[in-house]
Amino acid sequence: MLGITKRFGPVTACDGIDFVLGRGEVHCLLGENGAGKTTLMSILFGLIPPDDGQIIVDGTSVQFGSPRDALNHGIGMVHQHFMLVPEFTVAENVVLGSRPAWTPRFDRAAAEEEVREVARTSGLEVDPRALIRDIPVDVQQRVEILKLLYRGAKVLILDEPTASLGPAGIKSLFEGLATLREQGHSAILITHKLTEVTAVADGVTVLRGGRLQGSFRQGNTDEAELARAMTGGDIAALPVRRAASGGEVVLRVRGLTVKDTVTGRNAVEDLDLEVAAGEIVGIAGVEGNGQRELADALAGVLAPESGTILLDDADITAMPPRARHAAGLGVIPEDRLRWGLVADLTLAENLALSDISRGGLRRRGRLLDLDGMQARAAELLETYGVRPPNPKARASQLSGGNQQKVVIAREMSRQPRLLVAAQPTRGLDVGAIDYVHRQILDMRDRGGAVLLVTNELEELIALSDRIAVMYRGRFVYRAVTADADVDAIAMAMAGISPEDADAQPGAAMEVA
Amino acid sequence: MSGDAPGRGLLTRALSTPDPRALATGVMALLGTIVVVSLMVAALGEDPFAAIRTIIEGSFGDTTAFGQTLMVAVPLALCGAAAAIPFTARLWNVGAEGQMHIGAFAAVAVALTLPALPGPVFIPLILLGAIVAGALWAGLAGVLKTAFGANEVIVTLMLNFVAILIATYAITGIWPQGVAPSTEQVPDSTVLPVVWSGANVSLALPIALAALVAAWVLMSRTGLGLQIRSIGLNPFASLMNGMRVQTVTVATFAIAGTFAGLAGAMEVIGENKALVTNFSANYGYLGIAVALVARLAPAWIFPSAVLFAALQVGSQSLPASTGIPTSFGQIIIAAFVLGLLGARVIRLRYAEGAVQ
Ligand SMILES: Nc1ncnc2c1ncn2[C@@H]1O[C@H](COP(=O)(O)OP(=O)(O)OP(=O)(O)O)[C@@H](O)[C@H]1O
Ligand SMILES: [Mg+2]
Repeated sequence: MLGITKRFGPVTACDGIDFVLGRGEVHCLLGENGAGKTTLMSILFGLIPPDDGQIIVDGTSVQFGSPRDALNHGIGMVHQHFMLVPEFTVAENVVLGSRPAWTPRFDRAAAEEEVREVARTSGLEVDPRALIRDIPVDVQQRVEILKLLYRGAKVLILDEPTASLGPAGIKSLFEGLATLREQGHSAILITHKLTEVTAVADGVTVLRGGRLQGSFRQGNTDEAELARAMTGGDIAALPVRRAASGGEVVLRVRGLTVKDTVTGRNAVEDLDLEVAAGEIVGIAGVEGNGQRELADALAGVLAPESGTILLDDADITAMPPRARHAAGLGVIPEDRLRWGLVADLTLAENLALSDISRGGLRRRGRLLDLDGMQARAAELLETYGVRPPNPKARASQLSGGNQQKVVIAREMSRQPRLLVAAQPTRGLDVGAIDYVHRQILDMRDRGGAVLLVTNELEELIALSDRIAVMYRGRFVYRAVTADADVDAIAMAMAGISPEDADAQPGAAMEVA
Repeated sequence: MSGDAPGRGLLTRALSTPDPRALATGVMALLGTIVVVSLMVAALGEDPFAAIRTIIEGSFGDTTAFGQTLMVAVPLALCGAAAAIPFTARLWNVGAEGQMHIGAFAAVAVALTLPALPGPVFIPLILLGAIVAGALWAGLAGVLKTAFGANEVIVTLMLNFVAILIATYAITGIWPQGVAPSTEQVPDSTVLPVVWSGANVSLALPIALAALVAAWVLMSRTGLGLQIRSIGLNPFASLMNGMRVQTVTVATFAIAGTFAGLAGAMEVIGENKALVTNFSANYGYLGIAVALVARLAPAWIFPSAVLFAALQVGSQSLPASTGIPTSFGQIIIAAFVLGLLGARVIRLRYAEGAVQ
């Protein structure tokens, strides 16, 4: 890609960027939120047309009018939000859409065989007959990659592929990429994590504010240099964690059982949990082990089968989100585009949603105080470093990380008693993560209670006062952070109990 | 750089995606319709240009024609609002026809049962009665949907038949006039005064315009309007952010009912001076098309209604000057709506590329 430029109104998302990818290379694309990574890759995948610049594939200049054109040239992209049909099997999802709509009959057996074949040659093991809704996220991601390989993609673009994976999932993804590289495939990985860059990348390209900051080869650079290129400065270390103040219990969960709405299985089983004022309790686990359902039940959007949830001794088990807000609950949902934001509303409107639901932000005469909304939004966007800080922009026009900041700004500004934060830093750049971490610690220090759900071990350990690991709907490991053992946590996440670490991986455990 | 909220079908988005190029699509669809309809006219052995000229002259040609177009645009615009507001929340209200009939029933009931009052008191009372009745009738659909999970398309459609039967009963059973298929005449003091006598335009027009301004204020300047938009765009995030989705659903239906009810009342205390059988030339259903052409934007509802009214009024002169039957107007309207929807679906497909 040469001299790629893309403007969105006044914002220049990409400003004359050159990007080179060699055959059989794993290349990382780094940059802060809003640096232009997704935009650049969407251009390469034919999703959006560039204003200027050329794309050259194997020596010939090409123009992509649609993703189909890109796929015809062997370029495929996996979005951060998977686009799989949960009710279909793996094979159906892989084959779906790659044949003409007028194909008379869908030959299931043949499709499964084909998919098995692609899976085998690429080393990405999946069961073609499994339903998408039954398989964990890291396997779903494999299916997304298989989909592209099935369509003949030689270059795989992965937009923040590790954001939703636990350590084990990341490891298996990287192993898969290594196999594909040996077979002559190339991959472009968008990421915010420097450790991943050192782990897999042959080359690195760093963007900042829509401009190319530099291209590096593995071995010629180090994390510090990359971090400087990304942010234009060094990142300060997190403040030292204070000892938990141990206030009164704010959240008390007893015997909570929550069913997974799709499969009907118990996603959360008979769970007990307490979070005190001035305390951060971190819940870790590989995605799909009930953390999401736990967070949803606390937020009030998923009704539990049984059990009680007390917030400051008030029973909120049957309350809708509205009443929970009033009781002092704040929620940073995991899926920001589904539960957090209304993509087609403006930032000012998104930031005001909760207040407006409760009849706030009115002028006399019941009309909305539009000026007040704008002013408050401008202030929040400024404080939380959202780019661009324009209250009139639609949420859909922001980069992924900046959307996340908007959700955080709204929830934090309500000053909740209890904050349920599910993957709060997913998709954020290093600087923004740091900022959010400080906010969460700050809230704790002011006497708030925080339930942090994360699959980032570093984040878990950096923030939590107490840690619990969730596996198949239960806590299989609990510890005070000071006494916690990282290896034991990682193993518990994979379902291996600390006592019998050499037992069968994946065996269920019954640790209270 | 995000996609849409999950679970939105292409057609749904075609109906409501905000788009700066909307006008261009509308103009294209209109031109396309003119071409197709001209071909059909030519196939009938008539002169298409004469037909077009007839429609334009019959609807805008002189003050009388223009006034007639405006008066037909009044119920169309109000029913357009009755469709557009719930559509914005992704609630498919196809019940404006029934809500309008209930409004008409309430209007005639108030006008015929209250003792004689001066117009400035009586007319507001009648309109108020119709608005309340329309709101209750439409709100019933909302309650059935939220409390029992009934599909609102089916519910509102069925309620149309019930409402029309109720109105018919008023004509044949409660206040029959005798020979004519209508109720007794309402008192003269209740009839809407004419405000532009050259064009025979009554107070109904300014009232409808005021109602549309209210619709615009509601949708863009109030918390309820923002909640309606938010729920339509993403019900999940709306719930998570503390909205009472069910309450807003019922309220949205009720608000839609006020507009349709008002339309019904103004037909009764307009030129008809009574509740007349078939007083609605399918205004309730055409309102849906009006709303779609206006892309659910309150500000565009009146222009859109005028367009439909012009087709309706203009095509009435067709048989006199050409050999084409009046009902050809309906064909033109249908072709236009289909063309518009088609153009939007094609554009959306193109814009999305072949992502899947
Ligand atoms: N459709 C759009 N309309 C307007 N502005 C846009 C649009 N898409 C992206 N932008 C802007 O372009 C810039 C780059 O966005 P992009 O999504 O490429 O960032 P990114 O590097 O992927 O960031 P993140 O790490 O947060 O995902 C941002 O300032 C964003 O607000
Ligand atoms: Mg991005």
